[in-house]
Amino acid sequence: MRNLLNFLAGYNNIIIFLILEGIALSLLTSENNYHNTRFVKGIRGITTAIERSVSKTRSYFSLRETAEKLSAENASLRNNIEKSGEAINTVFFSVTDSVFRQKYFWSSAEVINNSVNRQKNFFTLNKGYNQNLARDMAVVSDDGVAGVIVGCSSNYSVAMSVLNTDFRLSARIRSNGYFGSLNWDGRDYSHAILSEIPQHVIANVGDTIETTGYSAVFPEGLMIGTITEIEKSGSDFYRISVLLKTDFKKLNYVNVIGNLQKTEQQELEKQFQ
Amino acid sequence: MINRILRYALIFVLLLLLQLFLFNNIQFSGYVNPYVYILFILLLPVDIPAWLLLIISFFTGLIIDLLTGTPGMHTAATVLAGFARPYVLRLFSPREGYETGADPSMFVYGFKWFLLYTVFIVLLHHTLLFYLEVFRLSDFSTPSSGYC
Repeated sequence: MRNLLNFLAGYNNIIIFLILEGIALSLLTSENNYHNTRFVKGIRGITTAIERSVSKTRSYFSLRETAEKLSAENASLRNNIEKSGEAINTVFFSVTDSVFRQKYFWSSAEVINNSVNRQKNFFTLNKGYNQNLARDMAVVSDDGVAGVIVGCSSNYSVAMSVLNTDFRLSARIRSNGYFGSLNWDGRDYSHAILSEIPQHVIANVGDTIETTGYSAVFPEGLMIGTITEIEKSGSDFYRISVLLKTDFKKLNYVNVIGNLQKTEQQELEKQFQ
Repeated sequence: MINRILRYALIFVLLLLLQLFLFNNIQFSGYVNPYVYILFILLLPVDIPAWLLLIISFFTGLIIDLLTGTPGMHTAATVLAGFARPYVLRLFSPREGYETGADPSMFVYGFKWFLLYTVFIVLLHHTLLFYLEVFRLSDFSTPSSGYC
């Protein structure tokens, strides 16, 4: 016993080092639950208040650009409404309509914290479940797809950005309808990779990539980006570089889309899996 | 003594604020953030006990982790830097040794000494930090999140 104690006393710094390093690594490996622990939420609550004021100041710098974008979007929405009566996706509130069953509801939110320089990027929105947001809702910017909500508190939500190496999105080429899986390779914040497109498919640089709606998270046909490079990977599939339409470095105002029939679809699908 | 603790607390808060609101928003060539908070570990007195240094490094890293939303990465890297510091100091010790209670300062021990000391520790810290970020230890224990 005494020998053991002497031994421990001789190496006490190494032992402290190993214990502390162990705590750090266990934090790292339990990452999936990290955003939901009460302790972290408390700390984030303090910092989000500061971040909010920083982002408020910052949003003034892009005010002109935001206004231009909004007026452009307004114009295109007005075009949509006059041209056709079936613009279901542009409804911003619940309506009772006996012709069109509402499937998605949209609400707007502001991004108050964002990053593009990590491997796993998340951004924070200024609305939470008090404003009817929930997990697994889609987040889109004015230009295209931005991410998916992974956690909500009462007034804030954290969304997994497309620029997160864990993010997978079912995407297709608009011109021919072939679909594959889109994810980010962790390199360039403006490009993502579309894989699983077979090589007999004809794809061209500049083709539009859009969402499929197979996952019950994103509505069908939302813009993701355009093809910039096509290369063969292995024998059967292409590896396609996609220039993301959303500029994640100036993500400011976004829309959150909830699927009203998601539970119904998923419960039915579960029976056959 | 109290004066000294106050001075280090001030340095700590200053570096923390700089890191959070200035340097976390700078990205060299789109990817690389400068991490200046490690300077706090570098500036602590030479004769600080090793266990205290380890605990200070742990909490420094933990606070940075909590405020930037990265679990454990900065903690692990900073604890390693704190662990390595006494050995690096011994490695580069001047011929007549360090004075008791001296600060590891550029003005006392010269620019070349400070550069070597800094490069060694920063290299260790950044190597572990970026290794943990890219190779994602969590992938070995939990399946990555689903398809959406």
